[in-house]
Amino acid sequence: MGIITVLWEKWVEFRRDFFKITVAAMISPLMYLIIFGLGIQTTSHGEPYLNFLIPGIVAMATMTGSFGAIAQSMSVQRLYERALDQIMVSPTPLWQFILGQIIGGSLRGLYAAGVILVLTAPIRTGLTFNALSFLIMFLNGTVFATIALVLSFLAKSYTDAPRFTSYIIMPMSFLCNTFFSTDQMPAGFRQVIALLPLSQASAMIRAISGGQRPGAFGFAVLAAYLAVFGGIAVGFIYRKKNL
Amino acid sequence: MIELRNLTKRFGSFTAVDGLTMTIGTGEFFGLLGPNGAGKTTTISMMSTVLLPTAGEILLDGVRLDRKASAQKRKLSVITQEYSMRQDMTMDEVMEYQGRLYFMPRKAIREKTDALLSFAGLIEYRHRTVRHLSGGMKRKLMICRALMIEPEILLLDEPTAGMDALSRRQMWNLLRQVKGQGVTIVLTTHYIEEAQALCGRVALINRGKLQKLDAPDALIRELGPFAVDETGADGLVSRYFHSREEAIAHLSAASSDAALRATTLEDVFVDCAGRKL
Repeated sequence: MGIITVLWEKWVEFRRDFFKITVAAMISPLMYLIIFGLGIQTTSHGEPYLNFLIPGIVAMATMTGSFGAIAQSMSVQRLYERALDQIMVSPTPLWQFILGQIIGGSLRGLYAAGVILVLTAPIRTGLTFNALSFLIMFLNGTVFATIALVLSFLAKSYTDAPRFTSYIIMPMSFLCNTFFSTDQMPAGFRQVIALLPLSQASAMIRAISGGQRPGAFGFAVLAAYLAVFGGIAVGFIYRKKNL
Repeated sequence: MIELRNLTKRFGSFTAVDGLTMTIGTGEFFGLLGPNGAGKTTTISMMSTVLLPTAGEILLDGVRLDRKASAQKRKLSVITQEYSMRQDMTMDEVMEYQGRLYFMPRKAIREKTDALLSFAGLIEYRHRTVRHLSGGMKRKLMICRALMIEPEILLLDEPTAGMDALSRRQMWNLLRQVKGQGVTIVLTTHYIEEAQALCGRVALINRGKLQKLDAPDALIRELGPFAVDETGADGLVSRYFHSREEAIAHLSAASSDAALRATTLEDVFVDCAGRKL
């Protein structure tokens, strides 16, 4: 019941800001596609670079969409509007509030990815996106929505949200298998990058788009992040003394 | 019944609330008074679980209140000092959100929203977002939101702050009506006359500690119900007397600009805060 309430709140937000959300979801990925995919035409692993790039951009869109939907909104609600107080006082179980935020954030990421897929549909790449691709996008979105929740609970001011984007989202966007394969990275660094959630989400979506089966390791990595950060978020909301 | 047992809240080395122990009866209109920084808002925040105590506990009808206590929290509604609402929601959406958070059926949410917004004179602005409301309208909306769920306990943190005199009196009447329905009300306020007009008992707190707790009339009697104001070298000084005769005797011996009046709760507050600060 509490989950539905949070999803309703997210829907109200989405309905009101539909245009802004849609444009924001389009601009950066579209720039990357135009500059790296169409402007600098090249090949990767013997295929057009766009075939490598589009699955990475889709994974990245789920990350930025989900993270952005939660980090900014929750920081403002907690620190500026104090609207989180309304939730804390209410009888809605707080774990349901957390789960609602995670699902709502992930759906926003899925929407951002859907926008990219619609935009790239006219380009005949032959890439495959099936139900499993969307499941991975959703799972990736839950991971980054959960990370955003934890960070927004840690934020000291609502201006911290853009900083989190600079510290976490921007480096991951460039390092985690979005624009280039991490195979050529130095050993050690490559293994660390491989343990980041976006690397695995990109790799799995790319594998499916090329007609291959994604490895179970990717699911395990995403599930591990979700479990750890989900646990921290629930711990914070129940136990943090000065939320 | 609300019981505060040795309630303590520290922020680092600063103790905002220091071992507060008191009991608030069911249906009581209870005031928490104190100077700025006394710990009133921190106490209300702990009573609404927004803050968790460093030590001590709060019991609602004998059950410990914490963030997991959904059944206890269902009884509570809070009007915070700040406008704790989504600024980008309309009034209707704010009310619906509240109703949903308290698991109210949709039909009841609609009916209650119509009734409360009409009562508060806000119905014609129902589609306006919170950020486009005046301070007074936001305050009224917070009250509507708090009453939406028909609480058993209403926590009010400076509910009339920023209101003009007329709106404040309207609010007093509303709170009396709410109290008449058997709701327990806990109020913090800077307006001492508000506490005197509304509260059955008041607690004076300073630096997080309970200084006095009694009915306003009893606190006034304790200080002395007759006050003589006289202007001396140190400015206006008030002296309090337990009998009119004593007060008149002092007045006769005092300078010509001295005046006799009835002691108010504000005198108790100033006397208490002045001695302790």
